[in-house]
Amino acid sequence: MALPIQEIKWRFSRRRTWAPFLSACGLAMLLIPAASLQSAFASDGDPEKGRAIYEKRCSWCHGLEGAGDGPAAEFLNPPPRDLTFGLYKWKSTPFDEYSPSGEDFERMIAGDGSHAGISGWNGMSGTSMPGWGDVMGPEETRHMAAYMRSLSGLENAEMPAISLAGRIRPGPESIERGRVLFKDRCAECHGLNGRGDGAKKLRDDWGARTWPRDLTKGWTFRMGSGPEDIYTRVTVGIPGTQMPSFADPSSKKAMTEEERWDVANYAATLDEPSRRPIPEAVVKAVKVEGGLPLAHSDKLWDSAPEADYFLFPQIIAGEKAFTPSLDSISVKAVHNGNEIAFLLEWNDPTNSMPWDPKAVEVADGPLFPDGAAIQFPAGEVKGGRPYFGMGDGRKPVEIWHWRSPESEFEKDTFGVLEAKGFERMTRKTVPETAGFEARGVYDNGRWRVVMKGPLNHENGPLFEEGSFTPIAFALWDGSNGDNKGKHVMTGWEWARLEKEAPGPSYMWPLAAGGFVLAAELLWLFLKRGRKD
Amino acid sequence: MRLFKFIAINLFFYALLKAPGLLAGKPIPSSVITMYMFFIVVTVLLVMTITDEGANELFAPLRSLLEDPSRSLARNILFVLLPIGAALSVYYSAAEPAPPFELRSAHPAPPGAVRAYGKAYELDGLENPLRPLEREDPAAFKEMVREGGEVYFRNCLFCHGAKLDGRGHYAHAMDPLPMPFTGSDTIAQLKESYLFWRIVRGGPGLPREGGPNISAMPAWEDELTEEEVWKVILFIYDYTGNRPRSWKD
Repeated sequence: MALPIQEIKWRFSRRRTWAPFLSACGLAMLLIPAASLQSAFASDGDPEKGRAIYEKRCSWCHGLEGAGDGPAAEFLNPPPRDLTFGLYKWKSTPFDEYSPSGEDFERMIAGDGSHAGISGWNGMSGTSMPGWGDVMGPEETRHMAAYMRSLSGLENAEMPAISLAGRIRPGPESIERGRVLFKDRCAECHGLNGRGDGAKKLRDDWGARTWPRDLTKGWTFRMGSGPEDIYTRVTVGIPGTQMPSFADPSSKKAMTEEERWDVANYAATLDEPSRRPIPEAVVKAVKVEGGLPLAHSDKLWDSAPEADYFLFPQIIAGEKAFTPSLDSISVKAVHNGNEIAFLLEWNDPTNSMPWDPKAVEVADGPLFPDGAAIQFPAGEVKGGRPYFGMGDGRKPVEIWHWRSPESEFEKDTFGVLEAKGFERMTRKTVPETAGFEARGVYDNGRWRVVMKGPLNHENGPLFEEGSFTPIAFALWDGSNGDNKGKHVMTGWEWARLEKEAPGPSYMWPLAAGGFVLAAELLWLFLKRGRKD
Repeated sequence: MRLFKFIAINLFFYALLKAPGLLAGKPIPSSVITMYMFFIVVTVLLVMTITDEGANELFAPLRSLLEDPSRSLARNILFVLLPIGAALSVYYSAAEPAPPFELRSAHPAPPGAVRAYGKAYELDGLENPLRPLEREDPAAFKEMVREGGEVYFRNCLFCHGAKLDGRGHYAHAMDPLPMPFTGSDTIAQLKESYLFWRIVRGGPGLPREGGPNISAMPAWEDELTEEEVWKVILFIYDYTGNRPRSWKD
């Protein structure tokens, strides 16, 4: 994606030496039109007051001098911004304008409410940058913004945001035009279905790994997921990354204003809000007749409701996964009284198959297979569940572990293990002979893995119809360096074996209604008796 | 009207219990809400019927509904609706049974002694060895706090957050949520020795009522030195403006 102007402007800031820094500042100053009005807004805050706040709150990640090199920086991806360059990812000013708007600065610092509903997501969601609005208040936020600007010589830059006046409503025609454009301009990185699976190795201007946004997860967008927000991103680009501005006329992929609205309208339809995890989701294993499917495409799965969970990286013990690439998983389950089958689905930018040149290219370091695991308590749960991190010596867990194939000539592997804590694992059975099976299929940025096994087996989880069984999940993204203890996971969740095929029973409601009616009649009867 | 007041008070408490789920996305488990509401309704009922007049006044509207001949229409409607309501509520609760809930104490009682770093620490009377610097050498104390901050942001940030509010960037995926240090109801109520225990022994070192099986807190004894632990304790009190409770309190 060749974009000369931006390439030149952003690339020179690649190395951390003084020369590019100075030229960046110089260029930034040039870019500020001489006639630009110095709005009172910009000089509202006091940078000296901002500095004091900065040292207490911000220096830990962004560094004492603002160079993005605080003590936390090496554990974070995306890394903390280097504030001395003044190059900001989330801005609403035109692509050829270096500085974000005054409002952009304040929003970066204070955060916003667009993610209300997900605990703690009020800043740059999915990163370590929280929204500081509740701590700082509007006045301190302005001081902070003034200090941030002073770090990169942007004190007086005050450009308005791009105009949204040409908005095209997201009707079917606009969306259809957008679909065609998306395939041509966006799918290269974001994938045909928008799952971020273009399989290109992307780095930002500082050399940090970046992943194209998974557009099906609207709730993860840092600056909103409505058509207007997407239009702004497509028009402005994400400076410092390989997300270009499609308004830049010198780009081969440039789009007109109408086209950018069309593509934004289409991209907004890719969102799958039903897969957004909600707290306390339960895996409900629906009871079905006959054999259980090993194919993810089987119609039987349509009868099972989906449970979605957020994943957190293993940062508890051993080798820690500080920069995870997978963030949620969708689960379905069916059972027939003898066997249970789980369908795990998650979006992953690559298939991590070593004979696929794309997977090899994208891999960060050595390429490992992808993997998925389900964990249950081994045996009955008495006096509390086992330790969620692979059990402990007193309370072991059973783990169903699937791994993608390691070579073109092998199949995916499946193991049933017993664990009594980290790295205290023993292989339990030969899965095939004991009736366990698993199969994974990768398609356009999504893994679909079915694992099935007998409901009741020796020292396995205790499943009873109508009751709850603890269950936990883990995923490995081999192209992100995930292997062994380095992975993402959930804590203990709950699975429940439904008693019958869908459709709750009417017996108990009728009984309850009848009981109340009987009580009423009895009362009337007694009342009448007393009157007589 | 007294009956109206009775309903309003109970609704107020119900709204309070529901608020964390509706506003912050972290609901209180429904089984806990049911349990609390049971005690709330019973308590409010007890208080409001403590005198005979009060009780009479409270139940007067109900009695008139059931006994007043002029209100037979309302009575008949009620008699039809009640069984239907009971049936519906059973229907919906059977469709969505709540998972079992393990009650968990956020601040369980600490043990008498903690084994860590190859030593046994008597928690009773244990003080932060760096705390005296605060009075004796403020410059050195400031440096210790700064170093504690570096320990925090290299190890604790991910869960407990850059604001120390227990909302780090992975916290949303965790249950129980990481502990916040801001506000006056967590570390401000604890002694530094308590934090030392919780940090060095982590989740697995909790007593049973503290939920050792579900806490994602690592046992930091394996990764931080004793001095680093005492420094990070200085930092989290200093940053949040909280004061530890001391053995003299």
